[in-house]
Amino acid sequence: MSNTLTADPSAPIKKNYLTGLKEAIFEEMEANPNMVCMGEDIGILGGAFGVTEGLQEKYGSQRVIDMPISEACIIGAAVGMALNGKTVLCEMQFIDFISCGFDQIVNMMATYHYRTAGEVSMPIVIRGPAGAYSGGALYHSQMNESWFLNSPGIKVVCPCTPSDAKGLMRAALRDPDPVLFYEIKNLYRLGKIEEEVGGADAIIPLGKARIARKGHDLTIATYGQNVYHCLDAAGVLSTEGIEVEVIDLRSLKPLDMATIQASVAKTNRFLAVNEAPMTCGFAGELVARVTDTCFEHLDAPPARLTRMDTPVPWAKALELHVLPSIEDIVREARRLVKY
Amino acid sequence: MASTVSSPKRGTDTGATQRPQDLLTKEDHLAVLQQLYLARYFDVRLIKEKRRGRLTGTLYSSHNQEAILVGSLYGLKSTDWISPIHRDMPAFFMKDMREGWDRPSRKGMSIEDLCGQVWCKATSPGRARDNWSHIGSREHHIIHSTSMLAGTIPVAAGVVYADRLNGGDAVVLTYNGEGSTAQGVFHEAINFAAVHKLPVVTIIENNFWAYGTPNHLEYSQEDFARRADGYGIPGTVADGQDVFDVYDKVMEAVEYARSGKGPSIVECKTYRAYGHGDHDDDRAARYRPTVDESVTYRQMLEMGRQRDPISVAKKRLVELGYLTAEDATRYAAEGKHATQTTDEDFPPEVVDYIKRGVDAATQAATPPAEEGAMWVFREGQP
Repeated sequence: MSNTLTADPSAPIKKNYLTGLKEAIFEEMEANPNMVCMGEDIGILGGAFGVTEGLQEKYGSQRVIDMPISEACIIGAAVGMALNGKTVLCEMQFIDFISCGFDQIVNMMATYHYRTAGEVSMPIVIRGPAGAYSGGALYHSQMNESWFLNSPGIKVVCPCTPSDAKGLMRAALRDPDPVLFYEIKNLYRLGKIEEEVGGADAIIPLGKARIARKGHDLTIATYGQNVYHCLDAAGVLSTEGIEVEVIDLRSLKPLDMATIQASVAKTNRFLAVNEAPMTCGFAGELVARVTDTCFEHLDAPPARLTRMDTPVPWAKALELHVLPSIEDIVREARRLVKY
Repeated sequence: MASTVSSPKRGTDTGATQRPQDLLTKEDHLAVLQQLYLARYFDVRLIKEKRRGRLTGTLYSSHNQEAILVGSLYGLKSTDWISPIHRDMPAFFMKDMREGWDRPSRKGMSIEDLCGQVWCKATSPGRARDNWSHIGSREHHIIHSTSMLAGTIPVAAGVVYADRLNGGDAVVLTYNGEGSTAQGVFHEAINFAAVHKLPVVTIIENNFWAYGTPNHLEYSQEDFARRADGYGIPGTVADGQDVFDVYDKVMEAVEYARSGKGPSIVECKTYRAYGHGDHDDDRAARYRPTVDESVTYRQMLEMGRQRDPISVAKKRLVELGYLTAEDATRYAAEGKHATQTTDEDFPPEVVDYIKRGVDAATQAATPPAEEGAMWVFREGQP
């Protein structure tokens, strides 16, 4: 790649997940002069992970604001800016820290459109690095999306590919409603998933799932880095003659139930996989909805595979013990297919 | 603007420099008195309506605290923003009234809109989706509050940050009980405003009670204005019973903010007339007099109960020769419990104005039930 003498200039340029996000943010800042970015260390430093590197240099410190360490103030001020006509992108340095802004999210931001009977929309995107399997321990590993899925008025998105990271971020920044954007930090610079991310017109609408692998024996619905675990498991299962359909939900709210239902009608079996804790988690919600709407198609009880109901511990062995693994997915898939 | 002062400056202070109130005309003074009546009558009317069983929800009376609302609103420009909370109901319809109560361009809610909200009707700006004070209006530059105290201060900071980006010079007034100054978000927002010198004026209505908890269990210092010290911003204390002292202190803060110098805090000392809410009146009568016998507490009692904002204003107008002693005895609403007042205690135009809102609200329809599931999102999907 680095050999410019032999590189084919017409060859597609593959980019990583972080670059996909970054391009979306730069393109939207360019297209929308009313857009403002706020977060801790996003300007001078360029963000703890570098997602906003160069943004303040290009758009100035008035539009790219280095905020004090005050998540509640970041969200609250974003609400005020949205109330006064701005589109706001907020960074949570780690999505775990979002709990410090909880009240402003669920009571102030999420309810604004409802409370005002539609007078005031909240075009706010809150993005941040999420996910375990990274040795981040309790407070740098969370997938806390179910807190917000249980709070009406918030859309929740979680891309797992570079092109989805870009296209969904573009869509989120054009959405009139608040969007929580879960970025998987393990994927930021993962070389093996690099791909073309599309140009300035690459916008992927929220609420459309992606079939990551086709199959006819079992439907697995998942999102985030668990998509890759499920794809790896599907590879193993395929050698045994079990063909799994893996659905990458991409967006949890709005949820593409039609794609799930069409798949279950074909496979007659359903497994939800995610790395959040089990109780009241989104996997449980998926199982409930499949039970409600696909019952006559099911040949096995719909199942879920999640993290145990524990925090995410630090030591590698402990961490992997509580999280769903490829082996867990293979085992659960076999059980459902044999049921 | 002075930095933090540790004791209240009374409205009777006569400094060598001109005070904002010194620029007010006779007509202004009379208009301010009229607005005090308007705020009082609105509250009195609600108390009576509630007691007659005509209203649902909880009433957080602003009785005896009207000088804070009238004095702080009187000097604002149309383009300025406010964020009132539960005890500031009159602020919603009294914003931008200086140039007339009913002019179409006024940036304040109509009395019909506000009563629509209180009466839980479809004519409410929020179509009766959240209760009483939890309304607002982007059009009229009024920020919508939640029940989480101090939660609107960061929102207010964001509003004026955006306004500044757009080249505006709007100032925002946020209203807060002294109890809310213990919330983390109060400090986070004022810190942010101080860093960016945002035009955020934080009004602390110190009525001595955070629901049922007295001042000395809320804060270790006597003056809540000293909350400003940690942020290097001015904090002043106003006599919350004296509408003209409030006007002075808030106008100084507003001009300071508008000139780009940044945020400040104005503490207005007052006293809550009744319980926290009307559900609390009976208990409040028991818990309040016995909690503390400190000097501060007695001062508060004296300040609040003996010094009705209407009588303080009248006294000032008589001193200035704008009101005769005889005229001052007309419309004797001051010093009375809401239930002891009659419509004759208020100027007829005040009674008529509020009656307009009440009549409109009582005749209005309730929102259709299916609206309960609407507007969660812009596109309407659940």
